Amino acid sequence: MTETDSLTTGAHGSPGTAGQENKAHPPLKDLSFLTGGQGGDGTLTVSELLARYYHSQGLHIYTSRSVLSRIRGGYAAAATRVSVEERFAQKASHDVIIAFHQDAVTFGQKELGEGGIILADDKVVKAEGKNAFLLPLSLTSASKVGSPLYKNTLAYGALSVLLGMDRAAARGVVEKRFGRRGGDAAAKNLSAFDLGAELVTQQVGNHPVLTVEKGTATNEILTTGNQACAFGFIVGGGRFFAGYPITPATSVMETLMRYLPQFGGVVRQAEDELAAINMVIGAAYAGARSMTATSGPGFSLMTEALGHAGEAEVPIVIVDAQRVGPSTGEPTRHEQGDLLHSVFASHGEIPRIVLAPGYPQDSFNLTVSSLNLAEKWQVPVILLLDQALSENTTTSPRYDLSRVSIDRGALLTQEALDKMAAYKRYEFTPNGVSPRTIPGMKGGESQVTGNEHDEWGHVSVNVDNRKMMMAKRMMRLRLVKDDLPAAQIWGDDDRARVGFIGYGSTYGPIREAQAILKHKGISSRFFQARTLWPVPVDSLASFMETVRVAFVVEHNYLGQFGMLIREYINTRNLESILKYDGNSYKGIEIAQHVESTLEGRTYYEPKKVPKVLPEGEGGGF
Amino acid sequence: MVEHVKPIQPTWCPGCGDFGVLAAIKKSLLELKIPPENVVLVGGIGCSGGIHNFTDAYGFHSLHGRLLPTAVGVKLANPNLTVIAAGGDGDGYAIGMGHFIHTLKKNISITYVVMNNETYGLTKGQASPTSPIGFEGNVEAPFEAVLTALSIPSASFVARGFSGNPKEATALLTEAIRFNQERKGFAFVEILSPCVTYNDTYDEWRAKIVDVATQPGYDPSDRAKAFQACLSIMESGKIPTGRIYVPEKRYPSLDATVLPNLAEVPVVEDVSLSHNRERYAKFLASLE
Repeated sequence: MTETDSLTTGAHGSPGTAGQENKAHPPLKDLSFLTGGQGGDGTLTVSELLARYYHSQGLHIYTSRSVLSRIRGGYAAAATRVSVEERFAQKASHDVIIAFHQDAVTFGQKELGEGGIILADDKVVKAEGKNAFLLPLSLTSASKVGSPLYKNTLAYGALSVLLGMDRAAARGVVEKRFGRRGGDAAAKNLSAFDLGAELVTQQVGNHPVLTVEKGTATNEILTTGNQACAFGFIVGGGRFFAGYPITPATSVMETLMRYLPQFGGVVRQAEDELAAINMVIGAAYAGARSMTATSGPGFSLMTEALGHAGEAEVPIVIVDAQRVGPSTGEPTRHEQGDLLHSVFASHGEIPRIVLAPGYPQDSFNLTVSSLNLAEKWQVPVILLLDQALSENTTTSPRYDLSRVSIDRGALLTQEALDKMAAYKRYEFTPNGVSPRTIPGMKGGESQVTGNEHDEWGHVSVNVDNRKMMMAKRMMRLRLVKDDLPAAQIWGDDDRARVGFIGYGSTYGPIREAQAILKHKGISSRFFQARTLWPVPVDSLASFMETVRVAFVVEHNYLGQFGMLIREYINTRNLESILKYDGNSYKGIEIAQHVESTLEGRTYYEPKKVPKVLPEGEGGGF
Repeated sequence: MVEHVKPIQPTWCPGCGDFGVLAAIKKSLLELKIPPENVVLVGGIGCSGGIHNFTDAYGFHSLHGRLLPTAVGVKLANPNLTVIAAGGDGDGYAIGMGHFIHTLKKNISITYVVMNNETYGLTKGQASPTSPIGFEGNVEAPFEAVLTALSIPSASFVARGFSGNPKEATALLTEAIRFNQERKGFAFVEILSPCVTYNDTYDEWRAKIVDVATQPGYDPSDRAKAFQACLSIMESGKIPTGRIYVPEKRYPSLDATVLPNLAEVPVVEDVSLSHNRERYAKFLASLE
C-alpha cells in the first residue's frame, strides 16, 4: 500500500482470497479500476459502466483513458477512480484490474495495490495468484449470448458480485446504457450481466471481495472538460461554432452538434482548420458569438487568422485542447506545451487573452468568461485546455446559471447608432475599444480589415496613425487586468512553507499533493492560475510573498509558465516541476518531488524584492 | 443619417479590368434595390481584393485565400444579408483552392466573383494558376475553374463574364445575387478582368470569348452538355463565357438546410440571459 492510499482509503483490509470464505472488509473510500484490452473491442465500456454505477451511488468519479490513435487494435486502457472525496487525478495504484489483454496484467500488475484483485478473460490472459479471478468471459459471451462482444458486460456482471454492488442499481445502469440503442441490445447485455454474476458466484461464492463506501455526491453530473466547455458556450450565448475533427478537441464540436441547434445556433464541420477559424471570424463579425476548438496542429494552422482577428478587432474564442506536440506528436496523450505558442502566436503583435480552467465546472465558467471578454475587449481569447481536462470523465457539481452573465461590450444598437453624429469602426477611445456595429445596421457601414487602417477602417501607412492604432489595440492588455478571471488560492494557511503554481488539469494532482504534504506536516498554498496572459502579475507577486518557495507545476519541457512569470516577477524562489512523458501527474509524484527537493535544505525568509519590475525593465506592457 | 465610412477612389491602374467588375457589382445591387447596409462584401488579398474599399457596403478584408470561409461565416450568422466574396485568380485558385471547391460543395447562397487576370498583378506580374504556358516562365498547363466547378455535384450556378462586356457581366451578377436571395445556393461568377500593366489581354480576350448560348442546342441545365460545349470551345482556342450551368434540379443550399426559418435570425438574436433563462435552466437540469 502506498502512502497516498493510506491517506485516502483508510485501512485496506487483508487481501481477498479466491475460493475462500471472505472476511468482511471495511469499505474503501477511494478505489481505482484499470480496464485494459484490445483497442476498439469495447473494453472501455466496462469503465463507463463502473463510472455510471458508482456515480449513481453518490461517489466521485475520475476516468482517464489511454488509447492509441487508431480505431482498432493496440492496447487500450482506462482508469476509473471512485472516491468519497472529490479527486481530479489518477490514484497512485489500482485496486482492481479488468484484463482483456495480457498487457493489462503485465504492465498493470506493477501498479496493483496491496489487496488488489485481477479479473481476467481466461481466453487471452494469463495471470497467477490467489487474487486473480480468471473467468471464461468471451467464451461464455460467445456461447450463451451469441457473440464475444458482450464480454465487457459479462465482466461488469462479475464485478457486481466481487464488489458487492447493489444488484438492481448495477443492472439499471446496463439497461439505461444499452436501452438507448434499441433492438435487443438491452436484453442481450442484461443477460450477459447475469451470466457474469453467475460465473463468479459459482467460482467464488457471492461474498464481496472489496466494497466501497457509499458517497454523498448525489446531485453531481458526469462530464468532461470539453463537454463543460460546450455547455458554457451554449448558455454563454454562443451561437456559431466551426471546427475540424482533431483529438482531443473533437468532443467540443460533437457536443455542440448535439445540443446547439436546439438553441438556434449553427455548428459546422469545416474542410480544415483554416476554414474553421475564418468562418468563425466571419460569423463573429456578423454578430454571432463564435468559437472554434482545436488542438496544437490545428491551432498552428489558425495562427495567421488569429493575427487577423487581433488586427481587425473581431471577437473570437479559440479553444486549444493541448496534446503532445509538436507536429503530430502523440495525438491521444497529455501535455501543456502550447502555452507560449498561445501567448505569442501570430506574426506582428496583437492583444489577446489566454485563460486556462482547472476542472470541468471551471471550464464551463471560463468559456462564458471567454465569450464576454472577447466581445467586451474586442480581442481574440484563447481557452487553453489539455488532454486530461478535455477527455477525462469526472463528476462535477451542476452548472450554476446564477454565476453566468452576458456582456456584449460596446456592441451598438440601431437606436444608439442613430443618435451618433459619425460612426467610425476604429474610433480612438480611452480604453482602446471602439463601438461596434454589425452588418444590417443602417449607418454602421464600415471597413473591417487586417491591413493597418485609420479610424474609418481605410488602409493607412501614416506613421502617427500606426503608433496610435498600436497603442489603441495593445493598451487593452494593461486595461483588461481587473476584468480577468482571478486565480484561486487553495490551502488552509495564510503563509506556507511550500507554494504551488499551476493551471489546467494539474489542479487535481496539485490539490492531492497538498493533502499528502499536509499529512506530513508540510503546509502549502496553491495558486491556481486561470488567466495566463496577460500574466496576473499583481496577484502572483502577492502570492509569492506568502510562501517560502513556489513550484510551478507544468506538463512541458521548458517550464513555460515559469518563464513567463520570471519575465514579470523578480524572484529567486521559483522552481519548476515538469513532466512531459505523455501522462498526467498523479498527486503522489508531485508530493514526492517536493519532499525530495526540500530535504536537507535550509530556507531563508524570502528577500524583499519589488513586486513588479519597473516599466522598461522587462515589466509592464 | 449617421456619417460613416465613404468609399475611396480605387487604387487600380487606369484601364484595369476590375473597374468593370466594380461597376457591375454596384449596378446589380442597385437594380435589385438592396440597400448597402444589407450587403457584406468580402475581399481577399491582391489588387482585386481591395474592391470592398470602393463601395459603401459593409466591407471586410479577409486573409489571402480565406475570403470564402469568412463569407460563409457571415452568411450562416445572418442569412438575411447579401454576401458577396470577391477576389483574384491567385487568391481563389492557388492558396484558396480548397475553399473554392468546398464552398461549391457547401452550396451556400453567396456569390463568389473571381476577377481573373491570369497573373499576380500586385506582386508585379508573376504567373498565376490560370496563366498560359510560357507566361513568365510558366510551364504548367493553366487551371480551368469553370470545368472544376462543373465537376462538383452540388454546383448550382456557374457563369463567366468579361469586364470588357459590362452589360453581360452585370446581367450575370444580378442573376447570381437574385439566385442567392432565393436561397438556391452558391453562385460562382468568374469575370475575365485584364491587368493592363502585366497582362493586357483586352483585345485577345475580346476575340476569344464565346457565349455558350450561341452554341446550337445549348442547355445550361444539362451538366454533361455544358462540359462538352466548354471543352470544345476551349479546344478551338476560345474561351467559354455566359450562363454556363444553371440547373433546374439542384441540391438544397446549406443556408436553407441549416437555417430554414429566415424570419428568425437565430445566431445574432438576443443572447441575453433574461431572454433565455428558462430554457437554459431546463437544459442544464437535464444533464446527467
